[in-house]
Amino acid sequence: MTLLAHGVGSRTDLPIPLGLALYGAGAAILISFAALLLFWRAPKLGGPSSGRPLPAGAQRVLDGPVLRRCLQAVALALLALVIAAAVAGPGETARNLAPWALYVTFWVGLVPVSLMVGPVWRVANPLRLVHRILRPLAPTAPGAHRLPALGLWPAAVSLLVFLWFELVYPDRAGPGTVAAFLVGYAAVHAGLALWFGEGWFASGDGFEVCSTLIARLSPWARRDDGRLVLRNPLANATATPQAAGLAAVVVVLLGSTAFDGLSRTVWWQTGPGAADDPLSGTLGLLGSVAVISLLYLLGTRLSGRLAGQPAGIQPRRYASSVIPIALGYTVAHYFSLLLLDGQTTWILASNPFGAPGVDLFGTYDDAVDLTAVSPDTIAYVQVGGVVAGHVAGVTLAHEQALRSQRHARASDQLPLVVVMVLFTVGGLGLLFGF
Amino acid sequence: MTGRRILVAALVPLALAGCAGTTASAGQEAATTSPVVTATTAAPEPAGPTGQRIEVQVAGGEVSGDTGRVPVPLGELVTVVVTGDVADELHLHGYDRTADLVPGQPAELSFDATIPGVFQLELHEAGTVLLTLQVS
Repeated sequence: MTLLAHGVGSRTDLPIPLGLALYGAGAAILISFAALLLFWRAPKLGGPSSGRPLPAGAQRVLDGPVLRRCLQAVALALLALVIAAAVAGPGETARNLAPWALYVTFWVGLVPVSLMVGPVWRVANPLRLVHRILRPLAPTAPGAHRLPALGLWPAAVSLLVFLWFELVYPDRAGPGTVAAFLVGYAAVHAGLALWFGEGWFASGDGFEVCSTLIARLSPWARRDDGRLVLRNPLANATATPQAAGLAAVVVVLLGSTAFDGLSRTVWWQTGPGAADDPLSGTLGLLGSVAVISLLYLLGTRLSGRLAGQPAGIQPRRYASSVIPIALGYTVAHYFSLLLLDGQTTWILASNPFGAPGVDLFGTYDDAVDLTAVSPDTIAYVQVGGVVAGHVAGVTLAHEQALRSQRHARASDQLPLVVVMVLFTVGGLGLLFGF
Repeated sequence: MTGRRILVAALVPLALAGCAGTTASAGQEAATTSPVVTATTAAPEPAGPTGQRIEVQVAGGEVSGDTGRVPVPLGELVTVVVTGDVADELHLHGYDRTADLVPGQPAELSFDATIPGVFQLELHEAGTVLLTLQVS
């Protein structure tokens, strides 16, 4: 099995040049303080009632059951195909469709798709269709009244479990692992949805919650009167409902990506992670999430204390401002994986079961072109993604501070901004490889 | 030189079959490919003035020699020579090159480093990473 940290892949990125890392870090620090001192002094971005409505006809189609059921049925068929290919296809990871389809095309691809077209997995989630089919078994959803109290915490747990399978479990890339994970995931979430009602998916299905959160940075939104609107992505992010556990989901996403980056460094591979066993991996993953969590709690609570606000509400209040930072990390670490190793999915989809003579799209004999994107382009996208995420995060935090308290003092925001600078400089450090 | 290329080309499908992990093909492979390895190593050709030669030894599960992260300039002719005490298969990811490792006999992988990036060279059966090639 390959030891690459991410579930599958044949290569990892070169370390970014030192100069580029330093420029990125310098820009991040400079922009942070410019934001505090020079940006607007009263809330400026539109709230939940802002946005330009789509035509009523478009809303009827997009919100109608027909489109949803069709997309869910297509997604369910693809899920069944991937599970079948995992079980009955070639036994070798390099020739089996399932690991590439799950870890690269679906999990990494979900991010750009959600960013461009909105919360796509909420609409196309095949488990929602499974739940609808099974609902006659438990029509009353006995646990539905408990769901609101759980907030997004179940999604944070669900994501952490998936990320452990993807980044730590030794046989993570094996087709059997992928099949078992997908069947287990579908069974657990369909079962929990029968208990908690269909609302479970929006608060417990890690993939759907992740897609919905990334879509908060897309121009697509739903206004508080229910109309689908186009709005400034930053206003969209500011309007993210401050659910319990929102900060936990964001911190899990950021921490796991940081661990993926960490595990590619020479320092990790020859130091704490040299054993490359489940114990060092689990501790590394949990440790990364814990460090990010602690820094985040410290920054938000300290900022709240300086502003004389209750500390408990702060982590949830500012969680949406960390979404772009998590997105920047994701772009930096997985952009090349999607474009280069992601080609494998389309090659193998031409013959999912490895049957002799089958070549549906005429691509089965193609080789992956690992030179399709140059190392310079990758490095610029990586640094650009991290710095752009940082700028958006600092801007969102600034707006959020002004909303919680008109004419909030810039110095009150300093602790959170310093933590965001640490995230960004740390992220660039991981790309540089120490 | 051309004959050697053909031998290597003939070796690759066999090696890939070995990846499937079936014991039948592994036995067959050992029987059919060892002469090929001898052929490739019988006349060890120096990598030339511009080439880079990387040598690794594996003994009792311990890797020594040019291990760790090995930087290689883009476009360089690279020759990796591995000597081990256990039968296994070398696999260079990304470049997707394989060679059979026979105990006591140096196995050689020779290629032009034309793909930039970081790639692992591992022992397929044992899962041991011998070195990480950093091509830039």
